[in-house]
Amino acid sequence: MKFVDEYDVIVIGAGHAGCEAAYATSTMGMKTCLITIHLETIAQMSCNPAIGGLAKGHLVREIDALGGIMGLLADETGIHFRLLNRSRGGAVQAPRAQSDKALYRLTMKSWLEDVPNLTLFQGIVTEILIKNKKIQGIATLEGNRLLAKAVILTPGTFLNGLIHIGLHSYPAGRANEPASLELAENLKKIGLRTFRLKTGTPMRLDKHTIEWDKFTPQPGDKDPVAFSFRTQKKLENKILCYIGYTTPKTHKIIGKYLDKSPLFSGKITGIGPRYCPSIEDKVVKFPHHQRHQFFLEPEGLETAETYVNGISSSLPLEAQKEILKSIPGLDQAKILRPAYGIEYDAVVPTQLCPTLETQAIQNLFLAGQINGTSGYEEAAAQGLMAGINAALKIKKKKPFTLRRDEAYIGVLIDDLITKGVEEPYRLFTSRAEYRLLLRIDNPDQRLTPYGYRLGLISEKDYESFQNKQKKVQKVKNLLQKEKIKTESRETLSLWEFVKKPEVKLQNVIEYKKFQVNLSDEEMRHVESEIKYEGYLKKQEKEIARIRKIDSVKIPENTDFRKIPGLTREVAEKLEKVRPRSIGEAKKIPGMTPAATVNLHIFLRIQQRKGPHPEECSTWNIKDS
Amino acid sequence: MLEDTIVAISTPVGWGGLGVVRLSGKRSLPVAKKIFRPKKKGAKIPGRRPLLGNLFDFEQKEFFEEAFLTWHPQPHTYTREDMVEISCHGSPVILEQVVRLAIKAGARHAHPGEFTLRAYLNGRIDILQAEAVNDLIRAVSYKQAKISFHQLEGRLSGQISSLRDQVLHLLSQIEARIEFPEERLRTSTERTARTLENLIQSIIKLIDSYDLGKALTEGITLAITGLANVGKSTLFNSLLEKDRAIVTPHPGTTRDYLSEKMEFKDSVFTLIDMAGLGKPLHPVEKEGIKRGKRLASQADGILLLLDISRKESSEDFRLIDMFKDKKTILLFNKIDLPQKMNTEEVKNRAKSISTLEISALKGTNLGKLKATIHALFIPDLEKDQDIIFHMREKLILEEILAFLVEGQHLLEQGYSEEVYVEEFRKTIPLIGRLTGEIRSDDIINDIFNRFCVGK
Ligand SMILES: Nc1nc2c(ncn2[C@@H]2O[C@H](COP(=O)(O)OP(=O)(O)OP(=O)(O)O)[C@@H](O)[C@H]2O)c(=O)[nH]1
Ligand SMILES: [Mg+2]
Repeated sequence: MKFVDEYDVIVIGAGHAGCEAAYATSTMGMKTCLITIHLETIAQMSCNPAIGGLAKGHLVREIDALGGIMGLLADETGIHFRLLNRSRGGAVQAPRAQSDKALYRLTMKSWLEDVPNLTLFQGIVTEILIKNKKIQGIATLEGNRLLAKAVILTPGTFLNGLIHIGLHSYPAGRANEPASLELAENLKKIGLRTFRLKTGTPMRLDKHTIEWDKFTPQPGDKDPVAFSFRTQKKLENKILCYIGYTTPKTHKIIGKYLDKSPLFSGKITGIGPRYCPSIEDKVVKFPHHQRHQFFLEPEGLETAETYVNGISSSLPLEAQKEILKSIPGLDQAKILRPAYGIEYDAVVPTQLCPTLETQAIQNLFLAGQINGTSGYEEAAAQGLMAGINAALKIKKKKPFTLRRDEAYIGVLIDDLITKGVEEPYRLFTSRAEYRLLLRIDNPDQRLTPYGYRLGLISEKDYESFQNKQKKVQKVKNLLQKEKIKTESRETLSLWEFVKKPEVKLQNVIEYKKFQVNLSDEEMRHVESEIKYEGYLKKQEKEIARIRKIDSVKIPENTDFRKIPGLTREVAEKLEKVRPRSIGEAKKIPGMTPAATVNLHIFLRIQQRKGPHPEECSTWNIKDS
Repeated sequence: MLEDTIVAISTPVGWGGLGVVRLSGKRSLPVAKKIFRPKKKGAKIPGRRPLLGNLFDFEQKEFFEEAFLTWHPQPHTYTREDMVEISCHGSPVILEQVVRLAIKAGARHAHPGEFTLRAYLNGRIDILQAEAVNDLIRAVSYKQAKISFHQLEGRLSGQISSLRDQVLHLLSQIEARIEFPEERLRTSTERTARTLENLIQSIIKLIDSYDLGKALTEGITLAITGLANVGKSTLFNSLLEKDRAIVTPHPGTTRDYLSEKMEFKDSVFTLIDMAGLGKPLHPVEKEGIKRGKRLASQADGILLLLDISRKESSEDFRLIDMFKDKKTILLFNKIDLPQKMNTEEVKNRAKSISTLEISALKGTNLGKLKATIHALFIPDLEKDQDIIFHMREKLILEEILAFLVEGQHLLEQGYSEEVYVEEFRKTIPLIGRLTGEIRSDDIINDIFNRFCVGK
């Protein structure tokens, strides 16, 4: 068997997960190959032209704080910026930006081309080579074999991809791009359980055929907020988005075509995401709604393509055309690319370790839609974590995982591996137990020290992070020291005063004429720390309590079947996985809170000490 | 302890014709085989199907009763252990004999609630159901038994489980606004405030129902009071249908109190006969009156007797006033005798108290009296609300209430949604302890079911 090349890490698929993974491994010193079907479609935004939003914007900031690239790139290529939930508190504000799609793709490619240790390679992977349940390399359709110590698989919707437009369907990974059929077969052979998911994308219209004055413009923010703390350049809004509505006539047309819908006729068996419902879904589920809102979003500066956010559909093209005719302003609109639905294979994510390594095959990592998620940001976050851990494993270093109280990334991965998914998984802020802690104004505080230690944050960036921390701390001290007399004649520290719901920190600082020189971003950070202080303190205590429980050791000789109150399934799982701490036990799929309590009580009764836990049994740690 | 095989009578004694003795544990079948002989000689004991046979006293070497034996092999049993049920005549003598012999044959008497404990420890039921079973065992009345049974079926019907939905709805409204700021949602802070207020009200109702639940668990106590010689003991005896209390034509006959259980329809009442509450003629009587007053003040209800063959007196009115804050039924007794009392006048004074004319001696209107008692003290639970029986449930509800009220306070003060929703989120684990767990997915599901969101 001949191998043409040898790498530390091979990343399969150059989507949002793959790019982030490859960037991380190569930056951490791994000789990396990023292999993809077309080099032209690196970091292609397959669906909407936007990045961020609630929870997703949080993810991008966390990726950035760890040293990932998505945030920098979104800032670099953004053409419309908004900070969502400005009327609400800092914990639920999040940036959302539209990018110039072509620019995003091209910029990513040129950035990756400049990354040391990283090779881009065009090819179609047909097989993952395994020896003794451990990664050996890959084989491509072109007949090449590449050796690798670790493989990160990020195939998006390409595994067994099947596109539906009306009752017509054809295999594809994305419109007119070949699906990965052999690889999908190969995964099953390896022993990974897969299931079908479904997603969809709306039609793209020719901007010259839209009557724009029939729609309400939605401008970007006057003071655009960047994703990345490292972005220096001034952000500019270069386009407007527009808001429009469907009509009762639209809904009648959709009703007429339902028998031609692959969704409603039962042709599509994969489960679709409910937060990205197709227009036919919305009309059927909410028949009393007279209209549904949609957004018209230009896909870039150099293109006429316009994304119709809100009218995703897998109805036949003639239905799509009729739908447009029923909407004032779009009645003359020309479809450049039809809307379609796509079904694809995903791997049951409960087969993964918390590091995103598969339990079945050593050094095989999975990230992105293959793990049952949806969204560019969710993909990128997993790509980054898979990349970091692949590099750490090869270096024989301790794995890197984030807890639910540390980052949305922790919430995301923990949900995936312990609960599994039933529909494409999207992150929501309500999935986090400690939402007031996981804000967009403090990911650097939470994660940048990790990123620095991992080698993903440069000296220079780390220094400016530390300077910012110092500057902010000074302001905090000042606010705690300085007093103010309120209208009701009580004397309060400024800190306490700002806790009142009607008080704004900005106004206090201006009123007191402080020369603190905080950026808007830093101002928001300090304000959140003050306003949420009571909750944060209580939550910290709670977190400490839970961590203590999580660290309770499980003796090696524990017979889990003897623990009262556990269902047989749970006991059997525990027997199989043999977790070494309650924290590890909690990460076992299907472990209920009640089962955890039972286990804890049992251990308290036993009160014996056990060995030190490590996340995955195959990790081989050199130093600590 | 779990290694033992346990035995107990499983039907409450004195309930209907059939009695059941249950065994649970590894040696259930061997033990049962010693005291049971199939009708058909040498018949094999089938699983889960009753087999007819005779109970055998292996000490006296004699058969003493016909019985059915059912063997339930583990793990598909209530305790997840091997179980045997012996059903035979419900006479306490026979049932106790079966238990005695089973113990001789190697079983151990089950502790109260031990079957349920085993079911819980073996993962068969959750703690909430376990509590319900224990109530079933201790149920004073059939009505309560029925309620416990409903809980046991995992069907904490009505309000407690709808509480979960209400909390879910409260959360999903707020979360929808937070997660989907760009969508036009049919929700508002005002609507949230209304949902919240309704939720708070239903929790308060549930908390209040605890007192009633307690009354049902411990039974309803009714004190029969009135002046001396009005016919209290006669009524006591007639209601019980036995000559329990001494009756004489002389006032001051009953000196200490007597208490007995009366069954009516699906409920059990404790009746108390006591000394007349008039002016004492004797020191012993004085003590009796003191006790009587105390008992009456602790009772759940009062049956206040007046003798209509005498003219109304200031003493009568004094008693009516004494019990005006209690649930009282005013009884005009001795209607078989010529009437001297101005009952209209008395009724006017008694105002809202329900009244009835009876003859304790002749039994006139006693059926009506029982019906009135039942209607007044046993709420109609089918259409009425859920009742909570446990201190634990009450405490959890109070904790939930505290968070909701705190959140309401923050909402009214103008705090932002992500702040006040924190208070509501704290109720999630508490709800989980009360009914089914709420997972973050459930909230998200609820959002998508109620609101048309997503692009
Ligand atoms: N005719 C008639 N006589 C009654 C009736 N109820 C009670 N009596 C008589 O009234 C007398 C007193 O009855 P008790 O039942 O002993 O009265 P009591 O209230 O218990 O009296 P003390 O225990 O002395 O307070 C007895 O002679 C009863 O037979 C009734 O409904 N009709
Ligand atoms: Mg008497």
